[in-house]
Amino acid sequence: MNIHLNRRSVIAGMAAMTATPLIGSKALAQAKPFEGRTLVSTGFGGSTMDIVADAVFKPFDAQTGATTTQMPMQSNAALARMIAEKGSPQIDMYQFSGGQEVDAVREGLTQAIAETDQIDALAADMRDPDGNWVAWAVIAEGLVYRTDKFDTPPTSYQDFFRPELKGHIAFPAITNGYGTDFLVMLAKTFGGSEDNIDPGFEAMAKLKDETIFAAASDIPTLFGQGDIWLMPYDTGNTYKNQQAGLPIAFTSPKEGSPAVKITACIAKDAANADVASAAIDRMLSPEAQIKIAEGMRWTPTNPNTKLPADLAQHVPDVTQLVSLDRAKINESRAAWIDRWNREIAS
Amino acid sequence: MTTALPMPAENAGRGGKIPLVPVLLLAPAVLLYLVFFVWPQLALLMLGFQDRGGAFTLDLYVRFLSDSYYLKLLWRTLVMGVATTMITILLGLPLAYLLARARSRWATLLLIITTFPLLVSAVVRSFGWMVLLYRNGFVSDLLQWLSLTDGPTQLMYTLPGTIIALAQVLLPIMVLSLYAVFRSIPPDLELAAMSLGARPTTALWLVTIKLAKGGIFSGSLLVFSMAISSFATPSLVGGPRAAVMATSIYDLTVTVLDWNFAAVQATVLLVAVLLLSLIYGRLLNGGGIKT
Repeated sequence: MNIHLNRRSVIAGMAAMTATPLIGSKALAQAKPFEGRTLVSTGFGGSTMDIVADAVFKPFDAQTGATTTQMPMQSNAALARMIAEKGSPQIDMYQFSGGQEVDAVREGLTQAIAETDQIDALAADMRDPDGNWVAWAVIAEGLVYRTDKFDTPPTSYQDFFRPELKGHIAFPAITNGYGTDFLVMLAKTFGGSEDNIDPGFEAMAKLKDETIFAAASDIPTLFGQGDIWLMPYDTGNTYKNQQAGLPIAFTSPKEGSPAVKITACIAKDAANADVASAAIDRMLSPEAQIKIAEGMRWTPTNPNTKLPADLAQHVPDVTQLVSLDRAKINESRAAWIDRWNREIAS
Repeated sequence: MTTALPMPAENAGRGGKIPLVPVLLLAPAVLLYLVFFVWPQLALLMLGFQDRGGAFTLDLYVRFLSDSYYLKLLWRTLVMGVATTMITILLGLPLAYLLARARSRWATLLLIITTFPLLVSAVVRSFGWMVLLYRNGFVSDLLQWLSLTDGPTQLMYTLPGTIIALAQVLLPIMVLSLYAVFRSIPPDLELAAMSLGARPTTALWLVTIKLAKGGIFSGSLLVFSMAISSFATPSLVGGPRAAVMATSIYDLTVTVLDWNFAAVQATVLLVAVLLLSLIYGRLLNGGGIKT
């Protein structure tokens, strides 16, 4: 076979070679549907926000061309912001950890998330029937204890009342979502429920002289300088403080670990609702869910996520968790806070 | 703005002299105050007289004033403010006097060190106090070492703990207010008093401290109003058990979403400060000036 190299064929060949990358980049540009778009989401702040960024938003931005920013905001503050911005939202997407999505939907502050196979695959209690929110992770609450102070790990909410632990108990204030759940679980432990909270208040009144704290940021000093041995909290913060060197561990009580849903929803009239929908779908992808479980010990909600065995033993499965009646809790919150301020904190 | 400007000129033309320059100088600040302070403050005031539907009601004020829990909250807030102010006066007076009278070149350095805490965020300072005030913290250990207490003392999540932390946070404000006044009082006045037979302590009390009353008043007012409106220190060091008005307003706004009642508490707090300041100003001036 003879190859005739003349000037024309060489030029044509070179032109073809230089054109190839151009075609390539053009195809890539078409694959980036949100080039030049921005997405503003709330975030939980601190290392949580960084881990979520690494697991979800950075790969999402790289793939779609969007630019996502997370604004650090606690869930309560985020809902207040959402209400304040009703009608002209500056924030497209909201992340909640305290059941605020239920209020947000009721107040008409949200819109439906574009439906995808991953959203359809979620368990019924992990998504809004009308598609306004999805739970992209679940945090298991339970008992956090000093491993050097317990010969055998605590097993029950009853352990808070053991006389030898007097003075070494801490629990979060009711304005903290975990404080509310602790009250509900105490009620359940002593024969009550979300509908019958009195046993919870009666039990908690016996703990009123113990340390009451406000936020997760208190945990390191409580276990360190505070001489605290047992408190109700969650897997994620236990892991964070274990990494900081505290001798503590998490265990699920026999009454069950309440599940805290970590949800996402889109503000009504948000300018970048389509970008937010795609980002939320990304949150549900098994790769993102595994990374979040690795980084924070948060339980994946996508049933198709298979955690590696060594990770799975530290992350309770979503089917093992107790779902509390969030609608009832939200409805009663104001009254409970008021009662708590008088009966427990004073 | 458009109607405000021609008017002075018009009046000036008629002979009622309203000078243009001061009006122009004042206009930006006044405008800023109207838009960003007076108007929102009025809106807040209105909010407190409305129920959730927007209808006029006095129920929220009745709720606040007839409930011992909220009155206790107000009382605790005022106690916190007064105690913090008194501690800063006690610590600040000698310090500011020393700084103002010192001739050494170390004086400037001392002044910088005194005011340095102002450069550190209140949150960071409060975290520092948290570490010190816990049951196994430094303060508790120190008290036991001095044999002042038998067992560990928990100052975290208590009102005294909050007051200690706030006093440290606000001491520089008091020192700066007093420093400026002490500097403006000539030392010669004390010398003159002594040459007329006053003992040094009497001279200090009758001349310098009494002349510094203006500084004590303005310093107290600043410290008091900053103490009772501060949020970071009470919420971090005081926590839920030592709740004060500021943390209650925060909880109502952010957690309970009852903005109307939050507005009532904010207004009550404002009125309480104004009243207390008036009384304090009267006491301080009334007791001193004898003609």
